[in-house]
Amino acid sequence: MTAAAMTERPAYAPPQQYRLTFVGELRSEWTKLWSLRSTWIVLLCAVVFSGGLGALISASVPDEAAVGGADAALSFAMAGVSLSSVFVAVLGILTITGEYTTGSIRSTLSAAPKRLGMLFSKALVFGAVVAVLFTAMVFATFFMSQALLSGTEIGGVSLGDEGVLRALFGYVGMIVYLALLAIAIGAILRNSAGSIGFYVGVIMILPQLATLLPWEWVSDVVPYAPGNVPNTIAVVDTSMGTLGLGESWLWMGIWLVVAYGLAGVLLKRRDV
Amino acid sequence: MNDRAAGRSVVGMIEIEHLTKRYGKKTAVDDLTFAVKPGVVTGFLGPNGAGKSTTMRAIVGLDAPTSGLARVNGKHYSEFRSPLTEVGALLEAKSVHAGRSAYKHLLALARTHGIPTKRVHEVIDLVGLHEVAGKRVGGFSLGMGQRLGIAVALLGDPAVLILDEPVNGLDPDGVKWIRLLLKGLASEGRTVFLSSHLMSELAQTAEHLIVIGQGKLLADTTVDDFVSGNGKARVRVVSPDAARLAEHLAGPGITIASPERGVLDVSGTEAAVVGQTAAAHGLVLHELRTDRGSLEDAFMQLTADAVEYRQTMEGAK
Repeated sequence: MTAAAMTERPAYAPPQQYRLTFVGELRSEWTKLWSLRSTWIVLLCAVVFSGGLGALISASVPDEAAVGGADAALSFAMAGVSLSSVFVAVLGILTITGEYTTGSIRSTLSAAPKRLGMLFSKALVFGAVVAVLFTAMVFATFFMSQALLSGTEIGGVSLGDEGVLRALFGYVGMIVYLALLAIAIGAILRNSAGSIGFYVGVIMILPQLATLLPWEWVSDVVPYAPGNVPNTIAVVDTSMGTLGLGESWLWMGIWLVVAYGLAGVLLKRRDV
Repeated sequence: MNDRAAGRSVVGMIEIEHLTKRYGKKTAVDDLTFAVKPGVVTGFLGPNGAGKSTTMRAIVGLDAPTSGLARVNGKHYSEFRSPLTEVGALLEAKSVHAGRSAYKHLLALARTHGIPTKRVHEVIDLVGLHEVAGKRVGGFSLGMGQRLGIAVALLGDPAVLILDEPVNGLDPDGVKWIRLLLKGLASEGRTVFLSSHLMSELAQTAEHLIVIGQGKLLADTTVDDFVSGNGKARVRVVSPDAARLAEHLAGPGITIASPERGVLDVSGTEAAVVGQTAAAHGLVLHELRTDRGSLEDAFMQLTADAVEYRQTMEGAK
């Protein structure tokens, strides 16, 4: 024990005015999100696809196909928005797997060693960005599509019509839900290719393919798959789906709780 | 240890108690116990794979110990309300997203704690990255990456600095710079704990040494004691009467080697004894000096013993 070395020098006092806070973690995640070029590129792709595809499809619908109710009008208009959910999900996955593949997670979790704050602030910031961006895109695309469809049978859909406003916000809700689900998948798998593969294969494609299987129980289960539960919230006439409107929101909540519960437990337990 | 027994807490004290970390069947750190005190630079020495990085990761809570404790100021790292001002860590050079600029990387970390942008600019200037701060880190050299890592460690102006191989990739100017920086930080009363496999580098920077091999503690001592305790201090004699001198010097515990004609390397005795022996027999000496042995020699000897010991133990099973 070299006690002399300790007593000779005065103890150093670190700055006292700084604190790790959840608001600080939110601001940090905001900075991280926008300081990567990939964020701008992927979100630009999402905007171009939502608006562009919606306009292209609406403009090229032959008059005889332009029939049905408000749901037909919305499905033409929102074709691009639905497709854009893939961009959003991939970006959501990359916000967390990118930290693991580059090693920046070590810096992040050294600054926020309780860990869960990192996961929830990432989800909150990205979810909010997606919500704002897609609220704008969904409404812009809706009005553009309606202008292009004017004169056809499905051209006169108004925001005031029953269920239309709710269904448009339903599209926003669906995309935010998928974005949040993607972040949790990324947190669980920690690998970009694996997470994107899982999202596309298991969340997007598997429920569609499963309907081709010959067993009856499969078609009973498929509507409850994580990728299918938000379907009801994005339609005007909700009487057609297996799940009611409330059930649809409930199951979205259940899947998010399951995904974030697993992601949170693993985040706490695993070494970084 | 005495400080804790007396109920005093020392600011900046790192305490490792019976730390064991296994990855599957491989034991990276094996029942390691030591303490790192503030006010001096403490070197953490060991061959590659000795468990240095694992121990450091355990201190900042990135790896959970299989058993035992790693604490700073008596607390687990995750209990700190302001981790960045308590402990600054440079763990691996590339702990940064390659697509992000150095400035934004630092800014994002600063924001978690409400550290102002002024401090971000300060540390960027301090490590000499001013001109490239806006560039993406992916294009950085190893040395620039190390400087950014040091900037991250200093961001919260912390009481404890943990630096894993900070000298790696730095040019000679950078090595000199970091040596002075670390000594300066320690003289302010901070705890500075740095690992290296470059023994010569630690000899010039550190006052205290923790040496590990195969995950076990080999030495916890000052650099001076380490060298004199483990280095083979030997006496070199140049004499035209070397052969006769050797005859007179020979005795139990003394080994004499002659690397070339007229030169003797004597170990197990002191220069004064050799000089007296020569004088007593009227032998001419041209040169008489003591080679202290380098830290590197001492380190090699110590770790070689550890490896040998381990092999013997396994052979006995």
